[in-house]
Amino acid sequence: MVKIQSMTFGYGKRPLFEGLDLRLEPGSVFGLLGLNGAGKTSLLKLLAGALSPQSGSISVFGAEPRLREAAFLADTVFVPEDPWLPAIKPSAWLERYAVFRPAFNRKAFLELSREFALDDDKLLTRYSYGQRKKFALAAALSSGSRLILLDEPTNGLDIPSKSQFRRALASSADADRIIVVSTHQVRDLERLIDPAVIVHGGKILFSLGSEMIAERLGSGHVRELGPDVVYAEKDRVGYSVLLKRSADDSGSGEIQTADLELVFNAAIAAPWRLEAALRGEALRPLDPADAANAPQAADQVSSGAAKTYAEEVSK
Amino acid sequence: MTNATLKKTFSIERMALLMRNRAFEDFPSIAIVAGILAGINLLSILIVGKAVMNDPDGQSWTFTISLAGLILAGSAFKGMHDGRSGTDWLLLPATSLEKYAAALVSYLILLPVAAAIGATGLSAILSLIELIAGGQGGRILNPIQAFGFTGWVDFATGALVLAAGSATFRKRALIKTLGVVTVSVLVASGLLFIAFIGVRSVQGLPVPFVRLSDGGWNINGDMSMKASPALDTLLNIVRYAFVPLFALLYGYFRVAEKEARDEVQ
Repeated sequence: MVKIQSMTFGYGKRPLFEGLDLRLEPGSVFGLLGLNGAGKTSLLKLLAGALSPQSGSISVFGAEPRLREAAFLADTVFVPEDPWLPAIKPSAWLERYAVFRPAFNRKAFLELSREFALDDDKLLTRYSYGQRKKFALAAALSSGSRLILLDEPTNGLDIPSKSQFRRALASSADADRIIVVSTHQVRDLERLIDPAVIVHGGKILFSLGSEMIAERLGSGHVRELGPDVVYAEKDRVGYSVLLKRSADDSGSGEIQTADLELVFNAAIAAPWRLEAALRGEALRPLDPADAANAPQAADQVSSGAAKTYAEEVSK
Repeated sequence: MTNATLKKTFSIERMALLMRNRAFEDFPSIAIVAGILAGINLLSILIVGKAVMNDPDGQSWTFTISLAGLILAGSAFKGMHDGRSGTDWLLLPATSLEKYAAALVSYLILLPVAAAIGATGLSAILSLIELIAGGQGGRILNPIQAFGFTGWVDFATGALVLAAGSATFRKRALIKTLGVVTVSVLVASGLLFIAFIGVRSVQGLPVPFVRLSDGGWNINGDMSMKASPALDTLLNIVRYAFVPLFALLYGYFRVAEKEARDEVQ
């Protein structure tokens, strides 16, 4: 289990997290979502032991990451957004680096390498960005580690590789393992991520399970904003909306499964409305002027409000 | 490696694997340097009929091995500071102590030993070529005499200081460390000199005229003045105990406390 308690961390005098609390149980693929600079990568590095908290504590399966004990390091694997690989061939990599992890599954690694069509005879430094990424992901998923931390894993992957990665990730997820995926490409992984953890303003703004989202929220496209709209994004012909489900529309075909990207944008732009919708409370009708033109615009407009909300959540 | 090994606070097996990886990483540059040295010596056999490095006291080989060792020790922890490879370095499943000890054992012990043996082989081959070319054969390096204990202690002290510098400085570690060492020596010498003048003034002696002359200190025309045995002992303690110990501990703490902060978060 991963347990973060009252953790404070920042770069220089700028605090990134203040009194952060988080608990991750094995058996799930956690999606870490947040704006640029929200601290997703830093949080992954803190969990991996590459960074140390300024105060508070982090515990990963009973170990303290900042101590970087060998057993902890072998039980944790972190794949950065742009993985570094040494100037050797894959077979040499297995001999020199995989040997530090007793639980490393060579057979699974070779199978994934074949599936990802990785060239055995090429130096790893000659691999393209996407190939390096696939190699690092194959190594991580075969590592036998109980904590797998993936930073933007689908960036740079071609379309077939994304689906291969999804399959590999789904088969790697087991009851003993915690997989944390930080991503901006929520649509690439939305069927795998459960729960989605939204980081903003140095806090965990929401931790939303797929069941909760499916039960209480839905998505759709409308021409006019109705009373159940939690969040809306204007497009040329109407609005892409996140809707609050009511008891009688759970089987309705008009409301689709909630789009995780809309849920994320709603969490950032209108956290109070999202929380009210999740509680099943009535919503004040959304003014068309409040509908964001684009998610980026929503990010800019709302970050202050969401920060205030995050502070309120922490209280 | 087994799960039982993983639980050990310090594992010789992990350290050996780290040392093996270092040897693999350093081997290409060492082989290139060996190739260049062989080329220079072959050229000198062709031009002057003598392998230039097979000198009677073997100092050329010793100097080259020491220089190579010091340069490698001075970049021992370069990978740890790198914006991209640094995170991998830190998170490789081995403790900071194992990573630090592996680097030190590699550059302070294994490298001089292996390089001295390799240099002996090269020296013998060059001597043979020289004989075939009609020369006298020169002197084959004796690997045991190549260093000697005091020579090795001097080398190891320098390598420890440079390794600590490599653990501290992210860029141009070698130059920065040499800069720090030079400044420290100058400051220490200055302080000693001030103390020397102070002692003389307490004794009622005039402020001396001091200059470096003929490889020794000329104080008011007297070149026979020497430090007292107590001061000599103190300086030796600083040089052979305090400096290496400080470098050893300081370097370790830099490695143990290193974080992946150089990358953009």
